Amino acid sequence: MAEANGRRNTADEDIRILAFLCNWCSYAGADLAGVSRLQYPAQVLDVRVMCTGTISPYFVIKAFQEGMDGVIVAGCHIGDCHYLKGNYMTAKRFQFLQRALEVFGIEKERLRLEWVSAAEGEKFANLIRDFTRTISELGPSPLRQGRKEVAVR
Amino acid sequence: MKEKVAGAIRQALESGRAGAVLFLAEEEGKLIPRLVRDAGDPAIERAYVGDKRFPASAFAAISLPAVDGVLAVVGRECDRRMMNELAKLNHLDLERVLLLGIPCSQELADACGCDHPVPPEPVAEAEVRPAEALDAPSRSMDIPERLAYWMDHFSRCIRCYGCRNSCPLCVCKDCALEREELAGKDCFPPDIPVFHIIRALDMADRCIDCGICELSCPADIPLRELYREVRGLFKEHFGYEPGISAEDRSPLSFLGEAADLGAHE
Ligand code: SF4
Ligand code: SF4
Ligand code: FES
Repeated sequence: MAEANGRRNTADEDIRILAFLCNWCSYAGADLAGVSRLQYPAQVLDVRVMCTGTISPYFVIKAFQEGMDGVIVAGCHIGDCHYLKGNYMTAKRFQFLQRALEVFGIEKERLRLEWVSAAEGEKFANLIRDFTRTISELGPSPLRQGRKEVAVR
Repeated sequence: MKEKVAGAIRQALESGRAGAVLFLAEEEGKLIPRLVRDAGDPAIERAYVGDKRFPASAFAAISLPAVDGVLAVVGRECDRRMMNELAKLNHLDLERVLLLGIPCSQELADACGCDHPVPPEPVAEAEVRPAEALDAPSRSMDIPERLAYWMDHFSRCIRCYGCRNSCPLCVCKDCALEREELAGKDCFPPDIPVFHIIRALDMADRCIDCGICELSCPADIPLRELYREVRGLFKEHFGYEPGISAEDRSPLSFLGEAADLGAHE
């Protein structure tokens, strides 16, 4: 699959990252990165959404539950949201969620919020590289090991 | 105290300030919610003012359609906060409820770790000090320890929905906790920690820390600690605390400019 995407596999094979990308900016930014043949790690699974304002914090938690090691939420810059203020909600929700993750015992670095425009292919590639490095350093999510190991102390 | 509460109930009815009063009555050793419309009703003598708690606001929301005019409710400061939150959720019309506030005893306040044991304008004055906050063992742990702590507790969950069902503020018709794709197949133990985290996130700007969920949980999961921690964080992050006033709105309930965009401007 790595080849099919034209991406090169650089980081730890084991790392799994989910990226929620808004249709109008960040998905187009990711597309530009691809068209420009920028190299970035392939462990990222993209989910295209119409606006980052449609992403519920539940989805992020569920992604961790299902074995993702890191989650990216990327959308239009403030002022550029195609639904005007969708990303205002995104900013509020996910800045809070980052901190709340720590209350539950999940490192806040596993969730990344970023604004990437359709013209920022380079920024997108850098974001993925940087985030993949962060997650590789943190290692696989403790939730991924399954509830059995974690649950029994 | 008992006489004062009975007196306040009668006074509310006689003066016409309320068309009915809702309170907990002690009958044959049991506590039963009573809705009374007549100041001469003998149930008023049996009005209960002890330390047992019940979510008066939830009963108020249920009883209101059966009442003409204003419904007076005998309740605590928690009840006042519940009512404020229910009003924000469009489940209660505050114009039509009147709280006959009773102070909690010092023992109850201490057991609850309550910093607000006396409602504004109580029907009887009482010398009750705000209590020290309860211990939150998870707070001093590091991140991996904390996850282990919560997973250890959550793994006992039998998915009885007691926490949700007893919570006076869990009123959504379509509950995320019943969604198979989020919380796992129904009738099975829930997927953890997602089940409890979903509820905790929804409580961050809604929970008024009445502790009724924890009383209901058969698995003794420290739910109150969990919700207190997220609620405390919410307050720190947004400066918003649920229940205090009926006017403030949670920053997560509107899109608006009021967002603190911080580093993401
Ligand atoms: S303490 Fe529990 S029952 Fe009470 S409002 Fe909070 S979540 Fe609901
Ligand atoms: S009351 Fe306790 S056991 Fe029942 S669903 Fe809630 S957390 Fe689980
Ligand atoms: S359309 Fe891109 S964030 Fe709203």
